[in-house]
Amino acid sequence: MKGTILTIAEHRQNSLREVTFELLALAHELGKAQGLESVCLLLEGEEQSLEGELKGWCERVLVLKAKGLEVFNQEIWQAVILKVMGDRRPFMVLFSHTPWGMDLAPSLSVSSGYPLATDCVSVVIRDGTPLATRQIYGGKLFAEVSLRPSGTYLISLRPGSMRVENPFGLVTQIESLMGIEIPQKTKKVFKEFVDTGAGEIDISQAPFLISIGRGIGEREKLEEIKELAERMGALISCSRPIVDKNWLPKYHQVGTSGKTVKPKVYMALGISGAFQHVAGIKGSPTVIAVNKDKKAPIFRVAQYGVVEDLFKIVGALKETLGG
Amino acid sequence: MLELWTPKYLFWPILLIALFAFLRSILSRIQVLRMAQKDPRLDHLKERFRSLLLDGIMQWRQPRYPFSGILHLVIFWGFVVLSLRSLQLLSYGLGISILSPFETGAFWDLYGLLKDVFEILVLFTCLLSMARRLLFNPPRYKGSHEAEAYLVLGLISFLMITDILFEASYCLLAEKNELSISQAMAIPFLKFSRTSLEVIYNLSFVLHILAFLFFLNLLPLSKHFHIITALPNVFFRKLKTGSIKPVRYNVQDIEDLEYSGTKYIYDLTWKHILDIYTCTECGRCSDNCPANLVGRELSPKMLTLKLRESIYKTYPVTVQKKERPNPIIPGEVIGEGEIWSCTTCGACERECPVFIEYIDKIVDMRRYLIEQGQGPSSFNQVFINVEKTGNPFGKPPAKRADWAKEAGEIPVRILKKGDQVETLLFVDSYPSFDPKANEVTLSVVRGLHKMGEDFGILGPLERDSGHQVRRMGEEGLFELLREKNRNLLSEIRFKRIVTIDPHSFNTLKNDYGLQIPIYHYSQYLYLALENGRLKPKRVIREGTYTYHDPCYLGRHNGIYGEPRELLKGILDAPLREMSKSRDRSLCCGGADVGLWYEVREEERMASKRVKMALEIGADHIVTACPFCMIHLEDAVKTMGLEERLMVVDLMGLIDSCL
Amino acid sequence: MDVVVCLRRVPFTQEVDLEIDKGQRQILAENLAFVLNDWDNYALEEAISLKERTKGTVTAITVGTEEDEEVLRRALAMGADTAIRIDSEGLTLDPRNIARLLARVIRGLRFHLILTGAQSDDLNEGCVGAMLAEELGLPHASVVNKIELGEDVLEIKVELEGGIEEISTIKLPCLLTIQTGINEPRYVSVMGIRKAAKKELKVVTIEELSLDKEALVPDVYVERLFYPPETGGAEILEGDPHIVAEKILRILRERGVIS
Repeated sequence: MKGTILTIAEHRQNSLREVTFELLALAHELGKAQGLESVCLLLEGEEQSLEGELKGWCERVLVLKAKGLEVFNQEIWQAVILKVMGDRRPFMVLFSHTPWGMDLAPSLSVSSGYPLATDCVSVVIRDGTPLATRQIYGGKLFAEVSLRPSGTYLISLRPGSMRVENPFGLVTQIESLMGIEIPQKTKKVFKEFVDTGAGEIDISQAPFLISIGRGIGEREKLEEIKELAERMGALISCSRPIVDKNWLPKYHQVGTSGKTVKPKVYMALGISGAFQHVAGIKGSPTVIAVNKDKKAPIFRVAQYGVVEDLFKIVGALKETLGG
Repeated sequence: MLELWTPKYLFWPILLIALFAFLRSILSRIQVLRMAQKDPRLDHLKERFRSLLLDGIMQWRQPRYPFSGILHLVIFWGFVVLSLRSLQLLSYGLGISILSPFETGAFWDLYGLLKDVFEILVLFTCLLSMARRLLFNPPRYKGSHEAEAYLVLGLISFLMITDILFEASYCLLAEKNELSISQAMAIPFLKFSRTSLEVIYNLSFVLHILAFLFFLNLLPLSKHFHIITALPNVFFRKLKTGSIKPVRYNVQDIEDLEYSGTKYIYDLTWKHILDIYTCTECGRCSDNCPANLVGRELSPKMLTLKLRESIYKTYPVTVQKKERPNPIIPGEVIGEGEIWSCTTCGACERECPVFIEYIDKIVDMRRYLIEQGQGPSSFNQVFINVEKTGNPFGKPPAKRADWAKEAGEIPVRILKKGDQVETLLFVDSYPSFDPKANEVTLSVVRGLHKMGEDFGILGPLERDSGHQVRRMGEEGLFELLREKNRNLLSEIRFKRIVTIDPHSFNTLKNDYGLQIPIYHYSQYLYLALENGRLKPKRVIREGTYTYHDPCYLGRHNGIYGEPRELLKGILDAPLREMSKSRDRSLCCGGADVGLWYEVREEERMASKRVKMALEIGADHIVTACPFCMIHLEDAVKTMGLEERLMVVDLMGLIDSCL
Repeated sequence: MDVVVCLRRVPFTQEVDLEIDKGQRQILAENLAFVLNDWDNYALEEAISLKERTKGTVTAITVGTEEDEEVLRRALAMGADTAIRIDSEGLTLDPRNIARLLARVIRGLRFHLILTGAQSDDLNEGCVGAMLAEELGLPHASVVNKIELGEDVLEIKVELEGGIEEISTIKLPCLLTIQTGINEPRYVSVMGIRKAAKKELKVVTIEELSLDKEALVPDVYVERLFYPPETGGAEILEGDPHIVAEKILRILRERGVIS
């Protein structure tokens, strides 16, 4: 039997999450090189048919349709995946390193006994075992990790690690899974989704964002930035620490836990560029980063960088703009 | 004296009742003093007696407010002179004659004249004071007990009037013919019958004594307690400004305390309670308090009055001993807005005629809040940064001396343990990391280099001096920093420490207890200018200058002259004084709480200060503190005055002339 | 409610230029300062405030060396009742083994809720919590940013990507991994920590947990650390602030976002 790479599809509110395609891209890349079949496992509700979206992205989709699978539940997912893993013995299982993936992959690793490397940004297979690259210390260093030899390897991938454009044109077989029992009673019960992004302004549509991070230091300094933004006709967005400190409402936040933005210009002031943040600005063609720390990861994604105290630049910008 | 109608035995019970009531009140007040914390105040006795004479008896601080100051001096001296008279009258009423050995001769004649003069002066002053309050009530009296002020002024006037009437009627009845003021006062009564005069004589006497005893009992219940407590309060004053009191005196292991800082009234020291008793409600503190001036929640006077009200309510003179009172903080008596508004600039303490202390009390309340985790949340990261990296920004210690890379040709020696150097430059955190303050650091280094000074810095080993965190109330952290810095300093041999920031200067000098000379650069460079080691190559001819005294250089450490002399050494341009200067300098916003916590205010302190510079037509504000420079420059920018006014550091200016 | 909170001490690396040691598997930690992992600090605050609201207890646990006890003392100062350190005995432990050790100790404790940080500042693995829950057979949820108390059940909010939050209920006992921003962690003063130094701190050895050191084979093994590749990266705009400002404005005009 041909070895497989099993990808766990993630979907929410009746659409597949983009990270699923990233996982499939990785599976495709590794599968091609190693002669492994890329198989996607899709657990969905009775009324759902998300498998159509997966056509061309993998060689096989295993679909399990049942009531209660509309929304992710770790207890159910874990039971199903354990069963599938037991039946198919995949070489590798790919998860997304999202809150749901963080819920699922580690406990699966414990219950299955297979080793797991989380939050990987790239994976290669060398001598038949995976070698994953992880970013540590806020992206200041990279680590290459190997896994304990095992029949199956579990990997969770950081969203935003793979470039996703078009399907790979694969012939996709859809296979329905039968005879898998779904736990009816779970200890965790889903209630609802809430959109926290709604607010007075909508940064996701803004053409020009001035975004601030921890580097502004003090809340009072916010006024200076607001003034500049007003004069330039930009909206203000921010990174997570600013919201955590309650300096700005949540709807200003850019990043995986905030909004994904796609302005023409994104000016990042005092933002170091943690991946959670950077993932939210991938759609911006021009990123200008101002940061005192020349090694800040933001400079790796920015087109233009200024290594300087941000307030010096803000002051100079205001002066140059004139009264 | 003439026989009184009233029998002697009538006065004895009245006096005893009055004295009993008075003593009871006093004991109740003393009881709170005894409950309060220890506070040794018997050191430097010579200095204390000197201060008692100059500040207590001569009341040198009074004329800082000329008009009311002189009024007060007259009333005070009246009290001093007339106390003898009161004793005389009292003994007279009681039918004992303790003063009779003195009641003769030239001394007594002179005293009689003096007494008459002062009675008239005091009466006149009281009337003037009442008129002044009525007509031009200064805003600093807001919140004071105004009715009580009138009552007491009225009472004093009444005492004067009754004694004048008594003396005048006496003169006529006794047919005394000496030339005296009392006789002049008697003129209106010349035509009175003997009986009428006797009525006046007896009535004025009785009323005077009753008023006197009433007044005596009023003292411990009112702001006029200061008549009794002011002199001791001056005597026991804090002699070392700039320092902060320890968490507890005479407690070895402060970890054993249930909590640190001030939570209940008895967590204050006895001296601080005495302060509270002594407040005269004159409001000079608040009139000079920058926080109060910019509309922050704090008024030092009201802080004292609220504490006093709380003490008087919790420990009333009528009931003895109540155990656990309510806490005074947070928010019970003193609000957090008040506690965090203070910049510890010391203007209130410098102004107070009776030397009431504020900074120690406020810092001690902060200590309580910080230990309970009730401080502003914005402090958390700052404290953790200081603890972990030795600076409030959380910068890596390894980068502490990075500024020195900008020094170009000048070698900046980074000292290691065991090294020896003449002058140790203690840079501290802001001058190490803040880009604006870096410029000052570099100019100090250039200055020292040009003087040929053998100097070095501690670099990555140096930690924040702790001035900030101590005044923010994080005492444990301060102790940690002090210990580490002291240990480090003990392993390097040097002759003196020079600092850049007046705050580091202050804390090393007053909080560290180091046995080595510590200079602010302005002092050290002034010495160099004096002995010719520092030779400016040019003088500045253009511009109009004013010098802004940093609180921790001026008020807290008395350094006013050196920076000005240095300026004169390089200026051939006008140097003007702002309306508030030297020990009345207005704080720019401070170097502790204000940097990390947004206090509600109507105006920035720095912008008020900038306006003062504009008033005298200055186009350059010179200061000698990186924080003053940062705050003032910020204000100049926000006010859009960059074209009209420049903020420069003294050292930067000197540097440009070397 | 009795809460167990798991803590980790991590290097404070803000603006630090990290160096890799000769063996290439670790960073040079000599000159680094260490702090409580930020996420764990939120978890700890949440545990303490739950204790205060429900009159329960808090047990703080860490796996590490004697130096790591610092985070436990912080927890004690904050209000934890008991602190336990599992001695790591010089082993480099991967998440799986950390979860294993924690589970051994926690099994013997009385608790209703276990809290951990959602991830750690240093290695960012974000998996000890869920692994521990599975070891103990507990329901769990990751990246929780709100907890409301109910009868034997909690209502929780989980922060998903894209500004969407998931509200669900979870039965007690359970394990939650905590996201930053869930609360405002209180400050623990240096004096508070000094005072807490007098409180008892239990140390458990691996042997006492009836585990064999040899059996603690890591699932994940760090082969090497390396510096991020110098990708094209940003074009650095040089010059004094005014020149830089001019350059920025030119770019903004070119992109048509200012006139």
